[in-house]
Amino acid sequence: MADQANFETDAMQYAPQLYSAALRMTRNPADAEDVVQETFLKAFRAYDSYTEGTNLKAWLYRILTNTYINKYRKQQRRPSEVELGELQDLYLYKRLGEASGATQSAEADMLDAFVDTDVIEALESLPETFRLPVLLADVDGFSYKEIAEMLDIPIGTVMSRLHRGRKALQKKLWDVAEEHGITGDRS
Amino acid sequence: MSGCDYAIEYVYQYLDEEASFFTTSRIRLHLRRCAPCMDAFQFESRLKEVIRERGKSDPPPELFDTLRALIQQERENNESEM
Repeated sequence: MADQANFETDAMQYAPQLYSAALRMTRNPADAEDVVQETFLKAFRAYDSYTEGTNLKAWLYRILTNTYINKYRKQQRRPSEVELGELQDLYLYKRLGEASGATQSAEADMLDAFVDTDVIEALESLPETFRLPVLLADVDGFSYKEIAEMLDIPIGTVMSRLHRGRKALQKKLWDVAEEHGITGDRS
Repeated sequence: MSGCDYAIEYVYQYLDEEASFFTTSRIRLHLRRCAPCMDAFQFESRLKEVIRERGKSDPPPELFDTLRALIQQERENNESEM
């Protein structure tokens, strides 16, 4: 059982990460702040139900995710599982390979051309069903099991949404690359 | 399933360190002798890093103060109720 007296000392260090995650979820700074504030208030009130020594970051993220879903998901139509088309495996790797003239390892170097705003735009373009697992896995580094608990879905569903979400993310990064001309012939 | 198809099928589980011991061993063996798959895996691994490094945003500077004030207010409310 955790002591409420230590709440700020224990939890405040996670505020920046939680804010960043909230911003990717809501795509709006004012809503992100609201979600983070509500998360901290709920976490403080429930702090005696947190077991010390377990993963506090995951515990806070679970509250954050639930807060976001309860607050904002009802605004959305039931998300469709088929809203992403079938994309080939290694989508971005193959597109960049074709664009670079297939020099070994050139594709990985081309990733350096993607700036923060490109990555953020691509992440925020994902439909929510796929955005949340991708954010939690790729940006925040949670395990499949932790994500399954946060989103209250089976691990198999986490894996399939991650798989499809990452492909969609790669497609979007490719679109961004084309738009900004970073795939063009630079020789 | 060929070694390459197998490796690509499990690329994310492997990179996420969520693949079984058997799958991990089989892929590791394959990557040692398949340069194209190794190149693709290095790309996917680098992409994961790029998303992690560049997918974050900084909070507004006043966020900490706002949260501290919020919790402080909650403490005071609790005390006055007692």
